[in-house]
Amino acid sequence: MTVARFLSHPWLTIRMQLALGVIFIAAALPKIVDPPSFAHMVYNYRLLPGAAINLFALILPWIELLTGLCLALGIWKRTAVFIVAAMLIVFIAGISINLARGNAIDCGCFDVSVAARTREQRLDDMKFVIARDLGLLLMVGQLLFAEGMQREFSQGNDVSLPI
Amino acid sequence: MNYRRHIVEALTLVAAAALCATVANGLASRERKLSLAASVGVVSPRKELTAAPRSTSSTAAEVPASSDSMNPAVSSTPTSSSSQSGIPATVSDVPPAPGPKPSASSPAATPSPTTPSTTSPVIPAGSENAKVRFPPHKDVAYVEIDGPQAEWLYKKGVLFLDARRTSVYEAGHIPGALPFSVWESDIDQKTEALYGEGRDGEAPVVAYCSGGDCEDSHMLAQKLWGLFFNNVLVYKGGFPEWTGRGNPSKSGPQP
Repeated sequence: MTVARFLSHPWLTIRMQLALGVIFIAAALPKIVDPPSFAHMVYNYRLLPGAAINLFALILPWIELLTGLCLALGIWKRTAVFIVAAMLIVFIAGISINLARGNAIDCGCFDVSVAARTREQRLDDMKFVIARDLGLLLMVGQLLFAEGMQREFSQGNDVSLPI
Repeated sequence: MNYRRHIVEALTLVAAAALCATVANGLASRERKLSLAASVGVVSPRKELTAAPRSTSSTAAEVPASSDSMNPAVSSTPTSSSSQSGIPATVSDVPPAPGPKPSASSPAATPSPTTPSTTSPVIPAGSENAKVRFPPHKDVAYVEIDGPQAEWLYKKGVLFLDARRTSVYEAGHIPGALPFSVWESDIDQKTEALYGEGRDGEAPVVAYCSGGDCEDSHMLAQKLWGLFFNNVLVYKGGFPEWTGRGNPSKSGPQP
């Protein structure tokens, strides 16, 4: 019960919410500034049809930015948390598929410039990215858990995440 | 849980993101704009542009591999799967280098971008020799070449195209090379303008990027192949190998 109380404590929740928001804003900005480079990264994943790559590369960073802002500013928090969770699952799946294929790629998560690295370095970095995204997914889990606990205490009333 | 409210909010966020992306892309500079109509990495079917008919070199028939007509009806009905995709079947298609081994010293000649011409095909000096050593390959989009071969072609004044981002091009490129970034929105305009210059489609054109895993030069080659440039050579080592071999480079927006 102590662990549950700690995990749902507003002190922790607000910090998780702010951290996730800032992380997604930081991830979005380089992609918004240089869409062609991000499109190149998306192409390297070899997951989308050619016709969808530019569209995806244009819109995804703005979704990251807006959901990050929603989290940081406390607007539509629950929806933003779900969107962030969905994006993280897609990112983990994308990297994992390419890792399984042995296709060494740059993640394009926070930096869209092509790094001069070896194949082994890229593969190692992909494993790190998966671990990092799983960590972010845990942060999302904490927010949802805290929201559920808050809801329980409120006896079924629709309550937003604590601030 | 009010699912409907969350769905409406999520759709609103996505719609707002799409609107922001559209506005930002519309206001973006040429180098940072993306073409939504473009299909990345897909080889377009080969078709002649009507604006400027392709000029065929009068010497094309001298080269056995190019003896077929450049008639689109013929070329657009390839006989093998590799020609349908425009991707070379094997890298071993690289032509042999019977000529003297070139030195790694600084090339004397700079490939000069030619001016548009509507009357005769633009044939760079030395391209005839280059065409003999590197014959056209109309059934595959590109053939990969190595550093010595690139240096030899450079000395012959063959056109070099830089497929990297313009900002990277401006930081340093092969002297005389033209910026043709496949990731920027004006790439189709550039390739069609190159086509419109009436260049000899059988003459070698070298595309390069950053070497290693870089595929930009291959993608550019496929675009050019779609416009009946039948002799695009991809310098696999790219700019890093070029400078690593002690060859000259130039910075700035000018070729």
